Formats: sequence, C-alpha cells, structure tokens
Amino acid sequence: MKPSQFQHHAPEQIDEVVGLLAEYGDDAKVLAGGQSLIPMMALRMAAYPHLVDIARVASLSTISASAGAVRVGAMVRQSRAERDASVAKVPLLAKAIPHIGHFQIRSRGTVGGSIAHADPASELPAVALALDARIEATGPGGVRHIDASEFFLSTWQTALDDGEILSAVEFPLWGANSGFAVEEIARRKGDFALIGALAGVTLDGARVARACITMIGVGSTPIRCHDAEAALIAGGADTDLDDIGRIAAAPLTPADDVHASAEYRQHVSPAIVRRALTAALKEARS
Amino acid sequence: MSSPVASRFVGSAVHRKEDRRLLTGHGQYVADASAPRMVHAAFLRSDVAKARLNSVNIEAAKAAPGVVAVFLWSDFHEKFGEAWHAMLGQELVVPPPLAITDVRYVGDPIALVVATSRALAEDACGLIEVEYEPEQATVDYATAAADSNVVHAAWGLPSNVMVAVPFTPMSADLDETFGSVEHVVETTIVQNRYLCVPMETRGVLASWTPGLEELDLIVATQSVHETRNFFARYLGLDEGAVRVTARDVGGGFGQKMFVFREECAVVLATKLLGRPVKWIEDRLENLISAGHSRNELGHVRMAISADGVIEAITVDHVADVGAYTPCPAVMDPTLLPGPYRIPRLGFSTQMVWTNTMGKAAYRGPWMFETTAREMAIDVAARQIGMDPAELRRRNLLSLPELPFTSPGGKVFQEITPLETLEQALGMLGYDEFRKEQAAAREQGRWLGVGICVYVEPTSMEQSTLGTEGATIRIESSGKVVAFLSTTSHGQSIETTMAQIIADDLGVSYDDVTVVQADTQSTPYGPGTGGSRTAVIAGGAAHDAAVAVRDKVLGIAAHMMEAAPEDLEIAEGVVAVRGTPDRSLTIKEVATQAYTNAHTLPVEMAGGLEATIRFKPKRFPTWSNATHVCVVEIDPDTFIPRILRYIVSEDCGKMINPQVVEGQIFGGVVQGLGGVLYEDFRYDQDGNPQTTTFLDYLLPTTGEAPKIEIGHIESVSTTNPGGFKGMGEGGAIGAHAAVANAVGDALAHLGVNVTSTPLGPEQIFQLVQATKKERA
Ligand SMILES: Cc1cc2nc3c(=O)[nH]c(=O)nc-3n(C[C@H](O)[C@H](O)[C@H](O)COP(=O)(O)OP(=O)(O)OC[C@H]3O[C@@H](n4cnc5c(N)ncnc54)[C@H](O)[C@@H]3O)c2cc1C
Repeated sequence: MKPSQFQHHAPEQIDEVVGLLAEYGDDAKVLAGGQSLIPMMALRMAAYPHLVDIARVASLSTISASAGAVRVGAMVRQSRAERDASVAKVPLLAKAIPHIGHFQIRSRGTVGGSIAHADPASELPAVALALDARIEATGPGGVRHIDASEFFLSTWQTALDDGEILSAVEFPLWGANSGFAVEEIARRKGDFALIGALAGVTLDGARVARACITMIGVGSTPIRCHDAEAALIAGGADTDLDDIGRIAAAPLTPADDVHASAEYRQHVSPAIVRRALTAALKEARS
Repeated sequence: MSSPVASRFVGSAVHRKEDRRLLTGHGQYVADASAPRMVHAAFLRSDVAKARLNSVNIEAAKAAPGVVAVFLWSDFHEKFGEAWHAMLGQELVVPPPLAITDVRYVGDPIALVVATSRALAEDACGLIEVEYEPEQATVDYATAAADSNVVHAAWGLPSNVMVAVPFTPMSADLDETFGSVEHVVETTIVQNRYLCVPMETRGVLASWTPGLEELDLIVATQSVHETRNFFARYLGLDEGAVRVTARDVGGGFGQKMFVFREECAVVLATKLLGRPVKWIEDRLENLISAGHSRNELGHVRMAISADGVIEAITVDHVADVGAYTPCPAVMDPTLLPGPYRIPRLGFSTQMVWTNTMGKAAYRGPWMFETTAREMAIDVAARQIGMDPAELRRRNLLSLPELPFTSPGGKVFQEITPLETLEQALGMLGYDEFRKEQAAAREQGRWLGVGICVYVEPTSMEQSTLGTEGATIRIESSGKVVAFLSTTSHGQSIETTMAQIIADDLGVSYDDVTVVQADTQSTPYGPGTGGSRTAVIAGGAAHDAAVAVRDKVLGIAAHMMEAAPEDLEIAEGVVAVRGTPDRSLTIKEVATQAYTNAHTLPVEMAGGLEATIRFKPKRFPTWSNATHVCVVEIDPDTFIPRILRYIVSEDCGKMINPQVVEGQIFGGVVQGLGGVLYEDFRYDQDGNPQTTTFLDYLLPTTGEAPKIEIGHIESVSTTNPGGFKGMGEGGAIGAHAAVANAVGDALAHLGVNVTSTPLGPEQIFQLVQATKKERA
C-alpha cells in the first residue's frame, strides 16, 4: 500500500499547470486534495509518474459571488466552502458538504476535485447537476464552460478533455421561498452514500414554481429525475410525495455492491426522495 | 507470611500509566523501531484461491531498483526446523513460509521481496510473473465436507474434513426427553465471518547478527516468550540466543497469539542476508491474510416443558477453519448450556477446510456456544409464545444454588447469572420498555430488545496457560520495578498490576514501574490472552510483592530491634505498630539491604527481590454477565440503530473500575460490529470482496452507543485478589444481544432472525421474504 514513485510538481500559475499536463500527457495527473487520488495510488489501482499539484495556484482558490451565481474555485477546500458566507447563498451546496466523509477529509478535499473525480455516489457532482451549475474548464485553448448536464459521462469519466483542468464551478442562485435538502443512506456516518437524494423547490403559494431532484448511488453518474420534477410541479406542494418518489425511482437501474443489492436500492429510493422533498418543502414554506 | 495491608489502590480508577505515551502519540510500535542497515520486506501473494504454480519468474524483480533479494520457497527449503507452538501442540504445524507447489487461498504468500524501501519492494513484487493453473476452489463451508474439490488434495488428503466428532449424547435419556416434552424447537444459527482487526497490523523487525549468532526480534505479539521459544526451535538455537521484545502492541484480540508463516519468512530472510529485515503488514494484507474468525453454524434443538423449563439442548456444529488455521479456536460444545440449569446435552461438531484465510483466535474464541444458545432461546421464546426474559429467568442459575455441575461436566460456582439478568432488566425498565414497544408498533415504528446471558471460562488451564510469573525488586533507591510475564496489547497491565503491587508493598502507585514483554528480563509467560491477567499474573504479582514485603519487614525488624510481626508498612514507611516515631523509610531499608548486606544476620541474603510463579487454586475462574440491547429499525431504510446498551457484569473484585469498563466498551463495540457492520466476504471463486475499510466496515466512535454498566462483585476464591477474568466478555455477549434485539424488532412482522450479519440489506431481505411467504 505504498504508491509507486512519482515526481511532484508544484506550479503557482494556471498556465504552468496546463503546460505540465501538455508536456507529460498520460503520465501526468492533477493532484488537488488527494483524498481520492492518493488512496487509489497507494492501493496501486493507479500509477502516475508525474503529479501536478494545483494547491499553490492562488487563482484556483477564490470564491466570488455575483448577482446570479456563486463561483467557487476548483481548489477551494470543502471545509472552507462549508463555512463560507457566499457559499451559504447556495444552500444545497452548503448542506451537501457535511455529508462528505469526515472533517479531516473535508479539510483537504476540494470542491473541484470532488466534481472532477465524478464518483456516482458523491454529493458535489449531484449538487452541480441539481442546480444546473456551469463547469469552467481551462486548457491549452483557454477557458470554456460546460453545463453540468453534459459534464458527467460515467463513473470517474467527465467531459474534460485531455490536458484540461476544471478551474471553477458556477452555482446559480435560486430566489426567495426556496428550500433544499440532502437525504441519504450511509452505513456509517461519513461513508459514501448507498443511495441519496438531493432536492430543491421554489414555492409560489401552493404552486411549485421550480423543482430539482437528483439521486446518487443509483447509476454510473448522478441522476436527475426530470419526470418526478415535472410531476411535482404539475401536482403542487400538496402532492403525495410517495408518488413523486415512485416516479423518481421507476427508471433507475442501480447496481449491486457488497453493501447493498440493486433491489434494496430500488426499494428504498422512493422513501429517500419523499424525505428529501418533505424537508425541502418545509424549508421553502418557512 | 504477613497479611497484606488494607488496600488503597486496588478498587480505584487511578490514572493509567500507559496514557501519557499512548494518548500523546509516543507509543513505541514495531513501525517506530529501526536498526542500522535495515531493509524492508513485501510479500507477493496469490490472487487466485486455488491453483498450481506452473512457474514463478523473479528475474525482472531481482534487477529492479533497490532490490536486495527475492526469496522463493526453494531458498528457504531445509533452512528451518520444527514449527509448532507449545500451547497448540506439535501436530499443528505453522504452514511453510512460502507456497511450495500450489496456492490454497487468496493471500497465500508466493515470494518475499527485500528492498531498501517498502515502496521499492512493492514495485518489484509487481514485476514477478506467476503462471497459475487455476483449480475449482471450495468456499462454502456448509457444503465443504461433501465437496470433491479437496483443499489439501496436494497433501493427499481425502476430504475437507479436519475434525469430525459424531453426535455424542451426554445424557442417557436425551431421545426420550425430546419425545416427551411439550415443545421441541429447532433452528440453525449462522454467525458470519469477522476479524480481529487490530489497529496495529502485524509487523516484525528481525535482526540476525552473524558471528554473535543471535536473533533479535521486535514484534507485534501477544507472547514474547512463546515467540522466542518458537524461533529457538525453528532455527535450532538455544533460547538464550533469541531475544524477543514488544514495547507497545496496538491490539491483538487473539490474532497475535501465535507466530505466522510471514514472520517465519522474515526471520529466514534476516538469517540468510545477515542484516535486519523489517516487515510492516499493510491493511490489505491484514484483512486478507492475518487470520479470520467466527464463521460457524449450529443446528440447535431444545426440549422445553409446558411451563418453560428447558429440559435438553443439542447442537450439530460446523466451523470453517479455512486453508491453514493459525489456531482452530472453535466452539466448546460442552459449554453450550451455559449458565442455565439445563440438565441434558448432546452435540456433534465438524471443522472443515476451505480455500479461504484460516481461522484465528478472536476475543472470546468460545463465543459461538453463547451465540447459538442465546439466539436459539429467542427463537424458542417466539415459538412457544413466552417472553424471552421470562424464559431465561425460569432456567438461569443463581448464586445460592451453586455449585452446579452441568451435563457437559462444568462445575459452576461463584457466578451470578440470574442476578445480572435482573440487574440489567432493572436498569432498562424492561416492563416499561415492552409497553413503549407496543405503542411504537402502533405508530409503525420497529423497536426491539435483545438479551444475552453468558458464563465465561476465564484463566483456563489448557497446556501452557495455567501459570504466570513475577519478579519484583525494590531498588536501592526505594523505588519498585516489577518484571512480569505478560505481553500487554492494550489491557492496561502496567496500571492494574502496579495497583496490586503498591498495595501489597505499602508504597505509592507512582513508585512502581512495570516491565514486561522482554524475554531477557521477565519471567516466562505463555502470552496475554484468554482473560488471564488479573487472576494469574495478578496472583503472581501479589505473591511476589508479599515475599518482598516479608524481606523488608525482616531487615527493618533487625535494624529497629523489633519483631517483624510488630511492624507495618504504609506510604513507604516501616513503623512499629502503635509507635509511629520508631520508623524507617523503605529507602533506608533498601540501602541496608544492598550496601550493607554483610552486616545482616546469616539467614538474610541481602537485596530486596523475589521471583514467584502463581497458579490458581482451581480452573477455570468463571465470570459472567448479561447484556441487554435496544434497537430501532427504520422501516423505510431498514437501518438498525442502537438506542440503549446495558451490561450487568460480575468479574469479582475490580482492580480498576475504569479499566474494567474500558474492556467492556471495546468488547461490546467489536461484538455489535460483527452484527451490524463487519462482514468479511468472498465470492464463489474465493476472491475476497471486502479488502479495504471502504468495504469492511468497522464501527467507529460515531456508531458506538452509550454503554451503561452495572457491577455485581461476587468474589472468586481461585486467587488471592478475588478477581475473575473479564477481557473477552464484552465481545462474547454483544453478538447475540444485538442480533436478538433486531429479531425482536422484526418479530411482529413474522420475521425469524437466526443469522448474522444484520445490516440494512439483510434486514430488507428478511422482511421481503416474510412478506412473500405470507402473501
Ligand atoms: C474516508 C473517505 C471518505 C470519503 N467520503 C466521501 C463522501 O461521503 N462523499 C464524497 O463525495 N466524497 C468522499 N470522499 C472523497 C473526498 O471527498 C475527495 O475529496 C474527493 O472525492 C476528491 O477531491 P480531492 O480534492 O481530494 O481530489 P484528488 O483526490 O486530489 O483528485 C481526485 C481526482 O480528480 C482529479 N482532479 C482533482 N482536481 C481536479 C481539477 N481541478 N481538474 C481536473 N481534475 C482534477 C485528480 O486528477 C484525480 O483523478 C471520501 C474520501 C475518503 C478518504
């Protein structure tokens, strides 16, 4: 459980990062908080002769708020985002972070690293997908933006091109009368979720003006439950949420693992969606 | 002999001597040790459960950067001698250090690479090319006995059965009883595979010094002395040429009681290389190859009268011992009736080989007799419609009716089974709980309570285990050093033994230093395990302290021209009773004893030192407890959560209540872990599925419930302190208590819980299956 030898590069400018990635190609990998990459290397599931550590690139560690969105730099530590006043304006992000591992892990793990890593059981990719975030990618050709709905391709696979890094994520702000919730089943506190649901709603009286429901741990990417969202918007705030849960769960094709069968995940999904929506609606009403 | 002074430290929660270094990160484990010219070892292990080794090519590995040597079986062949442990006997041989012609489990070591760093050794392991010829593995122990794929076919063995004891009735009228009682209950109880998982993995720094011809081992072990004796035999050396030490050991739980083949390989490597070799096992290795435990099943039958008297109990037991078992510690069926007044018993037992990691001892190795009986009692209670607490109450032994001889030949005395049951039920408020449970069910909430009552044979006599020794010396400064035969791996032995010694000598607890786990300075001991320290090592510490105290009194009497009987020692001062101004400090007595020995009378040899061995008056020393657990299961997610956990225990007189409670906390968390979180799994081809802490889930502080403890102190007469062993009970009791609580929470749905683990997946499957059956 010792990684094979690698060279550690510690650039301070994003151009240098992009340059190093171009120079070493497949032999290089970006190192952010190291909370996923280093264990994989220690277990020798992965080996990279060059690690390009982005921790010293100051421009990647900024958080800025504009009228419509909060932009979080890739290298912002999860623990900092958890307590940041601007991030608090994106309640779903602030609520999701405490579900990531333990505080020791969050104080190293980064917002960008989690999203770039694209684990289907991870919370932050699901937040990005639920909120229609925009992913900012920087590469040899400059900066481009990718919609979250286009970003997650499969387990640990994203729309980033070779030689590109995720430089920031823009989370759109929702208006007044909104509520958000994260509901998940994990074997122990701090474990990756067996399954989870992230929900957001905006109320206009008894009318649901806007809704998002995203599930994790039920496929190879986080999954947005569009039919369930539509049913909730059509049915309004007093809809039977068990029905919405069933609509959300119906198309899912989760997989088995040592912790739970596909059948279990399928079975408990409606209740998890119901719980997430119940909490989000309660917050929106208050 | 003089009678010891009134106790001052025994019975109180004095600060632990170990805490300062352990809690500030200054414990000294094997990984902290180093030696000049030291190199590092890594094993190439089989990733196939059963295969012939057609070829192993090590050329590229030998040429890799930093590599010092690559060893195969052919390098070690004929380089070692006998490989057995005194405690287990000569028949149970430690398997060869590396695989010879074939591999028999995933993790079977094939090659040992020694390099200038562990990382480089691992790199080189990756360059070794193994050509396997895979064969069908045997994985399911329930069917292994009849399986034609024989694990040890290469040895010419005909089947997978290691041991088979046919059904043995211990009572003549067993069949008649089953034929005539009101209720016959039959159920098969299955306990899952879970592991010791010490925080410190296995590890050894082995140094052979050519010329000196001595072997020095710093090793994570529960027994430095038996490790020394083993390697003296293994290398054909005198015991005096082998030194084994273990400063701090980060947990053992049974796993580190015996020498493993990997340690043999590292010792052979240092001998062949003539330089120190260090092997620190990583977590992957520890999970797949350091010994597995539990994994037993029993078909239990009980004959119960109309008024709930258990008239007979039988078990047909099968245990998985894996491919090579470091210690086939399985059920003792004669203990099946436990602390109950059950008059009749019968059993059969079978131990079978499979292509999985072998069985190792684990805290409470005789736990399955408790799990099988206590889970079966709950099945019985549900079947006959009697409350499980009431069924136990009608059958449990209580102190006034002892001694009692069980049908298995156990003579129970000085135990309090019924008393602990009543105390634990009282602490819970059992009757109120039943009302709360009924009300909760009305609201669709699933609450349940589980009980487990057990008796534990501590301080057993088997083989080497009957004796411990202590050397106690008051130095010329007046300070005390005690050399004990123990090898602590987390039992607070430095604290508890110092409490006993300080009281017996009449000195301050702070003036006593305990030295252990060094074969060059401490008396022989078989190893720390089996809940033996308080009773046996404590007895040795007491007797040695009393002997030294007598020497102090003798010399002081001579110096003060008084009779020894008229003297007393307290707080480091020897005084004439009733005349406190006639006194000497222990330091003054010590100065006389060491620097003026020639002035003492002829019968006094000088010095203040004694070595004494101790053996209890009887074996074993019984201890007992009742565990009560309350769980709630979320009907949406099937996740069980512990709401209350209560232990009423009787370990006799407590040396240190905080240490006693710490041992119970740790044991309970291991036991509940095995039900709710931990489960080591193989697929059908023998590939391990739970090889990191991402998959093998240990309970953490977040999962540990608040554990409420009640004490009943019925004194033992097997030893001078009145102590009973209690290191393992927590782990023994928790398994059935938690499983029964889950069973009780699901009982109203018609679910019959008879197996573990019981994570959300298993609970979901049980509920679904019952629904389907009923539909
Ligand atoms: C015990 C434990 C429990 C955990 N539990 C959870 C949990 O419950 N939920 C959860 O979501 N996560 C969990 N994690 C993962 C953790 O949160 C990681 O922080 C996260 O997945 C990756 O972030 P990182 O900054 O550590 O990235 P790294 O580990 O440094 O990198 C991960 C991968 O992303 C790539 N990468 C990182 N940053 C960028 C970038 N800016 N651009 C392009 N590629 C990049 C790397 O090259 C690498 O392939 C857990 C981790 C541990 C060790």
